Amino acid sequence: MSTARNHRSNKGLLRQRSLPLAEPKAAPKFVTAPVPRRLWFCVYLPNLPLEACGTGDEARVVVEEQKGIHRVLLASAAAEAAGVMPGQSANAALALLPTLRVEERNRLSEQQVLEHLATWLEQFTSVVCFAGSNILLLEIAGSLRLYGGLLCLRQQLAAGLEQQGFSALLAIAPTPLAATWLARGRRRACIREPVNLGTALRSLPLSCFDWPDTVCKSLVGMGIRSVGDCLRLPRDGFARRFGPQRLIELDRALGRLPDPRTSWRAPERFCADHEMTEEQSDRELLLAICRELLLSLERFLLTRQLGTQRVLFSFFHLRSSATQLTLGCAESERSADHWFDLLRIRFEQLTLPEPVIAVRLRGGHSQALCAESGRLSFGGKTREQKLRYSMAQLAERLAARVGNQSVSGVTTIAEHRPQLAWGWHSLLGGKANTTTLLLRQSLQRPLWMLPEPALLAAEDGYPLHRGRLTLLEGPERLETGWWDEDGIARDYFMAVNPHGMRLWVFRNRSRELTWYLHGFFG
Amino acid sequence: MQRDSTSLDKLLENPRVWRGHNRAHAGTGLASGYEALDRHLPGGGWPQCALTEILVEQYGIGELRLLMPALAQLSAEDSSADFLEPGWIAWVAPPFQPYPPALQQWGIDLSRMLIVRPKNDNEMLWSAEQALASGTCAAVLLWPEALDDQAGRRLQLAAEKGNSWAIAFRPAAVRGEASAAALRIELQSSAAGTRLCILKSRGGRPAVLHDVL
Repeated sequence: MSTARNHRSNKGLLRQRSLPLAEPKAAPKFVTAPVPRRLWFCVYLPNLPLEACGTGDEARVVVEEQKGIHRVLLASAAAEAAGVMPGQSANAALALLPTLRVEERNRLSEQQVLEHLATWLEQFTSVVCFAGSNILLLEIAGSLRLYGGLLCLRQQLAAGLEQQGFSALLAIAPTPLAATWLARGRRRACIREPVNLGTALRSLPLSCFDWPDTVCKSLVGMGIRSVGDCLRLPRDGFARRFGPQRLIELDRALGRLPDPRTSWRAPERFCADHEMTEEQSDRELLLAICRELLLSLERFLLTRQLGTQRVLFSFFHLRSSATQLTLGCAESERSADHWFDLLRIRFEQLTLPEPVIAVRLRGGHSQALCAESGRLSFGGKTREQKLRYSMAQLAERLAARVGNQSVSGVTTIAEHRPQLAWGWHSLLGGKANTTTLLLRQSLQRPLWMLPEPALLAAEDGYPLHRGRLTLLEGPERLETGWWDEDGIARDYFMAVNPHGMRLWVFRNRSRELTWYLHGFFG
Repeated sequence: MQRDSTSLDKLLENPRVWRGHNRAHAGTGLASGYEALDRHLPGGGWPQCALTEILVEQYGIGELRLLMPALAQLSAEDSSADFLEPGWIAWVAPPFQPYPPALQQWGIDLSRMLIVRPKNDNEMLWSAEQALASGTCAAVLLWPEALDDQAGRRLQLAAEKGNSWAIAFRPAAVRGEASAAALRIELQSSAAGTRLCILKSRGGRPAVLHDVL
């Protein structure tokens, strides 16, 4: 709301005549409610196109097609040493250095690298904004205390960026645009007070604006060469000539107008790709790639204090559709080692129809990971320390190899029909439920149950199973379930055959002479 | 002289040294719940941290009843006092469905049962080995179609490592084959009753028992 009002007041300003840009006091309208102090940190990555294509010290260039000719956009230090310069045609560059690696600019991977970097930067502040294709802005006023002051924060950031192989230009200013311009102008500036902004910006060249070439050319034609020169121009004339947007930018840079930014949010679900330059079928190598991906998943989840119960690997092939591999876990997990353990078991059995060109890892829905306090052990070696893994982990490992349906626990159900008196329950779902004793001890139940009652042959009214059966105990009459389809009316007996097997047999009350075998007493 | 006799004692304490009928050094076993059997087993019960083979001609002749009291004891082991995770009982590839109400009648805690149904023998052995070595399972029951010498040895090692009890049910036809198991028992049943033959017992002696069950 306040933003909209400011825009309106700004238009009102443009209608006023010849208000000099350099005198903010002449426009008291701009000073609205006291705004909390902000400090913007600009990370400018001038070499992003080159860095997005990979790292390495060898001579490389990134080329971009301009009017049908591939021209060098950026050259690595080694290439520049050989005389390759931005703006040269790719052929000229190759003539200078035949061993040159020429790569086409890949905007998609630049965007991905930038997002990756933004995700990493989120550890320093909750406000990370994109500004253009190679600039990230961080609002750090709230993080200074935590990181031990501006200098420490800047050092940590710079060290982290360098470690990841980025050559970044950093600048700090109270407004986002001023920080951007200072970084583009290659000033290692660190301005805390808004009053110092004017002085710092004045000497910046026009190139820091990132305005269209035509605008810059006509400014140069008028003898305007720096930001300070721009600020000295009459406001209305400037707005008329170059558009009101330029004037607004100048005002925003100086802090006279608010400059609201939308902060970027990393996606809640992890997704990362690893693309290879050529197809690979070496399984060890693929595993190593998966491990790298899992490690970045771990970092992703760690910064958010999250865990996930599922991860999905996709192995892409050139000619056939991708091979999918899903791993599941009983409890929310983020440890890369744990996932890698499961992956190795499943990967052994995975058949890849073709060599792999790319691997993608997607995390499942993430949940807050509640850490459990460890137990204090008073000397001695408890069994827990000896345990290699817990029950849930064992169930996961088994399920990973033999399938989710093939690993389960059992439970009893309060039901008189024997075949319905028990059920499966998943061990992967969480805690095992406790069951209470439902049967009286006097009732005989077999330890082995057949999946379906088996029809027994009969002789003189006696059932046969490898010989004539002798009925030992019974009958136990079960007549229930008439209200649904599985109603039974049976007389159960405990029987023994000549081989000493003890069986649980029953006779259907409706058909007196048919006998069925339902279980063994084991 | 003194030193010599202690080192000899140490050597004799090693359970791998077989000393005729002396069972004092075989460690303690897990009471089987059948007194007649306990008397014939070294340590007075089922050997722990080892592989036990039970050979049966057919299922349903009392092979589970033989184990039930010991399994119930393992699953009910109340160890919350010293923070131990109680023992789980894993059933790997059972030939029929173990019937939960009956297990409960025998006193087995169903919340500690794990049933694995692998697709083939390879997966079966792998699952059993994992369960044994994990240290979480107090007992692992398995029904392999074939168990060669090497696989038996691996199960034995896994049981030692995970401090667990492996019980393999095998057909009576393998009676003559060599085995790495610490205890081999054959169940022979007839109309007269079930006969229990101890074929091999590490630290004990072969025996034939009648009317145990």
